[in-house]
Amino acid sequence: MIRPAWYVRKMTNTIHNPIRRFARITATTCLALCLASLPRVSADTSLPTVELNAEKMGPRQIEDLTSKSIPRDYAFAWLSMAQALDTNRKDLLGGYFTGLAKENLVQKIADQQKTGIHLKYEDHGHKLEGLFYSPAGDAMQLRDQAALEIQILDGDKVIQTEQVTLHFIVLMTPGADRWLVRDLETIPEGKP
Amino acid sequence: MKRLLAIGIFIITVVLVGISWFTSGGLARQRMYSAQTPEEAVRLMVSQVQAHNWDAAYSRLANRGEVDKAAFVRDLAGSNGSLLTYANLESFDVWGLHQTNQDAIFRAKLHYSTAVGPLETFRDLKVEHDGNTWKVFWPTTRLPKLAPQVIPVNYLRWDVINRGAQDDWGVQNVDNPQVRIISMNALQRPDSVVLVGEIVNEDTIPAYVNVSATLLGPDGNEVAQEGSFDKISHTLLPKQVSPYRIDFPGMRMDKIKSVRMDAKAMLIAASADPVIEVGQQHIETDALNKKVLRGQLVNQSGQIVNIPHVIASYYDGNGKVIWVSDGYVDQELLPQIPVSFGLDVPDDVAKNVQNYHVVVNYYENNNS
Amino acid sequence: MRALISVSLLLSFVLTTALWSAELKVPPQVTAGNAFSISGAGSGQGTFYLIGPAESIKRQVDLANDIQIQSEEVEHVGRYTAITCGGDQCSSGHFYVHAAAPDRLGLIVHPSRVPVSNPNAISAVVFVFDDFHNLVLVPQSVKLTVTPTAGSSISESRNTQNGVTWVRLNSAPKGGPAKIEAAIGKASEIRVVQQVASDACNLQMKSSWMSGKLVIETNPVRDCTGNFVPDGTIVSFTKTDADGKTTVDVPLKKGIAKVEMPVSGQAHITVASGVVTGNELNVSGGR
Repeated sequence: MIRPAWYVRKMTNTIHNPIRRFARITATTCLALCLASLPRVSADTSLPTVELNAEKMGPRQIEDLTSKSIPRDYAFAWLSMAQALDTNRKDLLGGYFTGLAKENLVQKIADQQKTGIHLKYEDHGHKLEGLFYSPAGDAMQLRDQAALEIQILDGDKVIQTEQVTLHFIVLMTPGADRWLVRDLETIPEGKP
Repeated sequence: MKRLLAIGIFIITVVLVGISWFTSGGLARQRMYSAQTPEEAVRLMVSQVQAHNWDAAYSRLANRGEVDKAAFVRDLAGSNGSLLTYANLESFDVWGLHQTNQDAIFRAKLHYSTAVGPLETFRDLKVEHDGNTWKVFWPTTRLPKLAPQVIPVNYLRWDVINRGAQDDWGVQNVDNPQVRIISMNALQRPDSVVLVGEIVNEDTIPAYVNVSATLLGPDGNEVAQEGSFDKISHTLLPKQVSPYRIDFPGMRMDKIKSVRMDAKAMLIAASADPVIEVGQQHIETDALNKKVLRGQLVNQSGQIVNIPHVIASYYDGNGKVIWVSDGYVDQELLPQIPVSFGLDVPDDVAKNVQNYHVVVNYYENNNS
Repeated sequence: MRALISVSLLLSFVLTTALWSAELKVPPQVTAGNAFSISGAGSGQGTFYLIGPAESIKRQVDLANDIQIQSEEVEHVGRYTAITCGGDQCSSGHFYVHAAAPDRLGLIVHPSRVPVSNPNAISAVVFVFDDFHNLVLVPQSVKLTVTPTAGSSISESRNTQNGVTWVRLNSAPKGGPAKIEAAIGKASEIRVVQQVASDACNLQMKSSWMSGKLVIETNPVRDCTGNFVPDGTIVSFTKTDADGKTTVDVPLKKGIAKVEMPVSGQAHITVASGVVTGNELNVSGGR
């Protein structure tokens, strides 16, 4: 490989000046850290990964089809929520949210439209644990451990970015052809 | 010169009119009108029926004195909201069964398009030589009249009040009825896979039922999904059993590992009346040498049933459902008046049939 | 010189990051619907943001004074983020709002109709909510009372887990409505389950002649515990004679199914209701 002359000169300088080399390495590391911490959250259109562990769930035994549809529908719920909160579109919520969960999000979007605040989520995945499946199969309670990157923006200005692991208590109920999120409450870690 | 030109134009016009009359079938019509053959007589009469030209069709009958025109029209165009009132005679075929110099018997196959799909009916018509033309004998169908009377009906009906859309979650609602598929049999037919079986309403309230099935391939993936559509009696009263059939056209059994059945039931407002008796059921071979399940329907209530729909399940010697067939009856069911029906049974099925169960679904003008 | 610039850059980054993520002093836990205040986080005018499960609030505040959070701004349980920004500097803090005292119950009872004498056929699930419809996750004791059609009520207390408790019940041998009540404090909910007759048992028919027609009717149709099978239940009569087979699906009216059939020659008659079959009759026709 043929290298230009300045490349050889530059390499020589660096090797022969250890203080400069240390400063350069430190600055590069800082720059890399800065770049890494720069806001990079966007309204992702890909489905987040959702793992379901229903081993301890009862009293009803989860059906094969339900064990497939719960993670799928929960992933779609999070995707539609992230898009709705980023674009202030309440209509995106109807597909996978109902009841109190939907009312809360609709209220939040109405507030966002008034204040100019909006949220961007980058979803790094969910670990769902089944807590309760009603005997008649009409309600399921789950605990979710979600890895998220949340960015709060006021207009175009980023006012906060955080990488968090949040815990949710989720209540899902069956709709016509899917499971809907009826309640979504963030809880402190380790509770309940 | 002017006169010559006028005569020329007149002659050309007459020739052109003559050509257009000939090319538009005028000659054929004229020949048919004069009905030189028995087939022409039948064709002319049916084509007038097709054009709803009832006067002309009626004028082609040899037995006008015996056949009331209103009854003739009712016979071909239906009445009281029957299936024929929602039908159009699309085409017809005519062929002879027997012919002499003086009379003949011709069979007319009438192809109707109806609100529930195509319908084919056969009419065997006697044709008679009358002077220099042939005329059709229309079979006299005297509509039986029921003596004026009061038919007591202890009106039994279920109405449903559901939870409002705005009510909180967790507020009590009325559960959907419990239904159960009591049998299912997958059959390979020449051009399709067919699922047949029976479903029962186990509840104490009426149910609107629908059965659908998903075929799963060897890898567990869904291969096809279909519903029973109208091959089921959708409204089931408590403990009532209905056959169902689901067709998968173009499917082969060797591509299927398993079947996922889904029976959906909804609450429905329904009435326990009318009660329809299905009498004189028997399997016979018809004039076309095909196996047919025949019988007659008797409406035991006092209201008219507009469009009866007959569904039958056929069992083998072990009581297993081996086929389900259905058909719409083109006549309405008047109170107490028997109406015949016939359902095709495939030859390969008919030889194994040991028993059958017939149910009658019906459609009314206002509700179904 | 370059080294100096690099070190300065590093210092400024660390400082900025420290200032950016300055913690706002917020209470760790708040009860839903309770007003509170957040200590002032600086000086001069600034912007306060409160992001909650159903809130996105923004207002101008004096950063030197305490920031008042109104009760209606924290009605929904969950994680809230409070941020104050003055100039280019922002401080933030997080707190959790937990449910207030139990005030409402969601009671889901299934099925709404149940056959009699069916073990574990009825299920009741209770959800405990506060006044703001938040699920109360702290364990609570819920009193469940069942009042059968005949007899006295039976009560039992159950503790909730994650805001939910449930119970399974047998249906009574006698048909009729059963009341199921859940109560906690002043809140209570009642549901009614209709206990209906089970399948027909010992289905019997008899025949008689009237005006040349055979009249067939069932005895009053009851289930195995003696409850009348509801009217409208279909009873299928099948007659086989010289004319072929005749079937009639007749609904029960006043507990009895009745049908008239013409008979030619010897006739064999069977009766069934759903998957239950009854007795068989052999009659001679032509009377």
